Amino acid sequence: MIKLRRGKYVLLMVLLLTVSLIAIGCGGSEKDEPAETGQAEVIKIGVYEPLTGTNAAGGQMTVEGIELANQLYPEVLGQKVELVIVDNKSEKQEAANAVERLIGQENVNLIIGSYGSSLSMSGGPIAMDNGIPVIGCSPTNPAVTLDNDYYFRVCFIDPFQGTVMSNYAVNTLGAKTAAIVQDVQQDYSVGLASYFEKAFVASNGEGSIVEKVNYNTGDKDFSAQLTAIKAANPDVIFAPGNFLECGILVAKARELGITVPILGGDTWEAEEFLNQVKDYQDIYFSTHFTAEEPVTPVSTVFLDEYAKAYPDKPANAFGALGFDTYILALDAIERAGSAEPEAIKNALAATEGFEGATGIITLDANGDATKTAVIKKVDGGQFVYESKVDPQ
Amino acid sequence: MDEQLRTKFILNIVFLLAVALLIYWGQHNLNNFEIRILNLAAIFAILGVSLNLVLGFTGMFSLGHAGFMCVGAYTTAILTMSPGSKAIIYFMEPIHPVLANIQWPLLPAILLGGITAAVFGFVIGFPALRLRDDYLAIATLGFSEIIRIIVTNTITITNGALGLKNIPSIKSLWIYWLAAILTILVIKRILNSSWGYAFRAIRDNEIAAEAMGINIFKHKLLSFTIGAFFAGLAGALMAHLITSVDPTMFRFLFTFQILLIVVLGGMGSISGSVVAALIVTIGMEVLRIVEQPMDLFGVVEIPGLPGMRMVIFSILLLLVILFYRQGLMGTREFNWDWLLNKLDRLKDRMRGEAA
Repeated sequence: MIKLRRGKYVLLMVLLLTVSLIAIGCGGSEKDEPAETGQAEVIKIGVYEPLTGTNAAGGQMTVEGIELANQLYPEVLGQKVELVIVDNKSEKQEAANAVERLIGQENVNLIIGSYGSSLSMSGGPIAMDNGIPVIGCSPTNPAVTLDNDYYFRVCFIDPFQGTVMSNYAVNTLGAKTAAIVQDVQQDYSVGLASYFEKAFVASNGEGSIVEKVNYNTGDKDFSAQLTAIKAANPDVIFAPGNFLECGILVAKARELGITVPILGGDTWEAEEFLNQVKDYQDIYFSTHFTAEEPVTPVSTVFLDEYAKAYPDKPANAFGALGFDTYILALDAIERAGSAEPEAIKNALAATEGFEGATGIITLDANGDATKTAVIKKVDGGQFVYESKVDPQ
Repeated sequence: MDEQLRTKFILNIVFLLAVALLIYWGQHNLNNFEIRILNLAAIFAILGVSLNLVLGFTGMFSLGHAGFMCVGAYTTAILTMSPGSKAIIYFMEPIHPVLANIQWPLLPAILLGGITAAVFGFVIGFPALRLRDDYLAIATLGFSEIIRIIVTNTITITNGALGLKNIPSIKSLWIYWLAAILTILVIKRILNSSWGYAFRAIRDNEIAAEAMGINIFKHKLLSFTIGAFFAGLAGALMAHLITSVDPTMFRFLFTFQILLIVVLGGMGSISGSVVAALIVTIGMEVLRIVEQPMDLFGVVEIPGLPGMRMVIFSILLLLVILFYRQGLMGTREFNWDWLLNKLDRLKDRMRGEAA
């Protein structure tokens, strides 16, 4: 009895010791900080990305791009740039903690992040309260930058893709009528569809959307929807949504003898989608980046360096967006002429015609990027670069 | 006996004053980051204590906590956002006209968040609590996912998957810790009432409890609904701490984080849950140093590995499960009885040694 008791106390003591050790370690590092910032002139850029949890894959690809850019361009205004990378665990409360930490403990001048709109939305207000500008790499939800003067992003937003695909359908494919198939459970799908519709009606007039049908995430049978579309006989079909459902849908459409072009969004760029539709033609979608056709000189730099740094991995859109975010940040600091957050924010807001790896970026009044979108198509069982669409 | 009660009363007052003083000191001396972590710890303490009521004291393996938080968070978010920002944020589909111009003060909105969650808890508990053990866990897990799916699809009310932002922010340590202390006091009172004894009887042996005349279903539903209320309250506070909500934040994984706190602190110990909530939340931030690149005495350089702190927590959990299955506190509580007893025994031992 007494023995057991003692064991428990020992365990408790060990626990207490570990906790106090950790506390000491933390205290120590805090003491070092002022000395560090005092001796060397560094500009600190905070990065908060999901490196663990459900969104880890996307976050890691983005960080690779940011680190690559940092290795290439380690200095601005004659000062060294230091990246402070923190993990936000793909959780909202962790993302808020991470941003608060970057601002309060690390004293960063600027923040980059985060993959996942929901995570960005929880960090945004804290940065705004503290007057620190943030550039997002790939949060596509329009609400992220809404009503927040300190949040910017280098990717295009969901609605923009809808507009791009509509312009492509009208100008390149010469479509006069279109049908829409949307997944009502995904805001992504509904968003793209609604902006496609607006742009298409603006070009071709009222009544040019001849059919609009819905389905739900997880559906596998689309014959009813597709029969309705076949009867309406449109020039193109716009079907934004998950790669899984869309793969089945597109294959089924071709089986039913619908031969008109089918258009989608960036989610289609997935192996699973390709496997379903590789035998078919005339399937187009918009995406952020292509490794085949460099859109700007910077793309070439990125592709070469990426191949050198990660020889066994193909270059991806998220890495490219991370790369762009970092070089845009440096560009803004240079234009501002100082690393003072308010000045950086004003410089960022004035970004126009910035040449990034993913295209020419101009930031609008909301802080959203209007930029080149890449159109790819399915050809010979592969995704092939088709063309690029520059913003008007 | 009377004397002891009075001592305990005085000690309680002194303790609460000390806590108040500590909060006062913290509010004025800690920076925003530290205050945010402590606020989060308070929320997790509420969650831990409320799940402990259901799981540790009533013995119901419920995994629906994230769903109830979701209800609470959305209720308070919709009620407290300004009509102006609602108009901006509901850009895909306009908000339901009834909700468009409502703007409540924070306190009633947060309370209503808890009450709505309790209503959901009652409705869900009614069919689900006929099940036991693992079956109940799966049923509650399913219900909490259903809540999330409903929130995703009622776009005119919740703005769907886009989520809500510009929720009024609360930064004060007072509000979160006052809520946590009130939660602890209320749950403590409940546990010391006849309900509390009934809960524990059900946990220890359902059939025996029924034979003693306890209405099993009524008490289970009671415990479940109270748990849901406090989960909703915590969800509402979380909404005001983060200032934005969306359905993905309440995935069932969140419930496991609360479960970790309950198991670590000890199933059936309120003080254990509070201590574990503090350790887990603060530890999570402090342990970030193990993810940074480290330089060990200039000899070895360890590159930063994301996820290391989770590894440490996993090891901690493993150790607890292997060697210390009852958790930090087991079913014991840190209270004055315990402390006075300890002191008495110490006194006895000293006297024994002297003699």
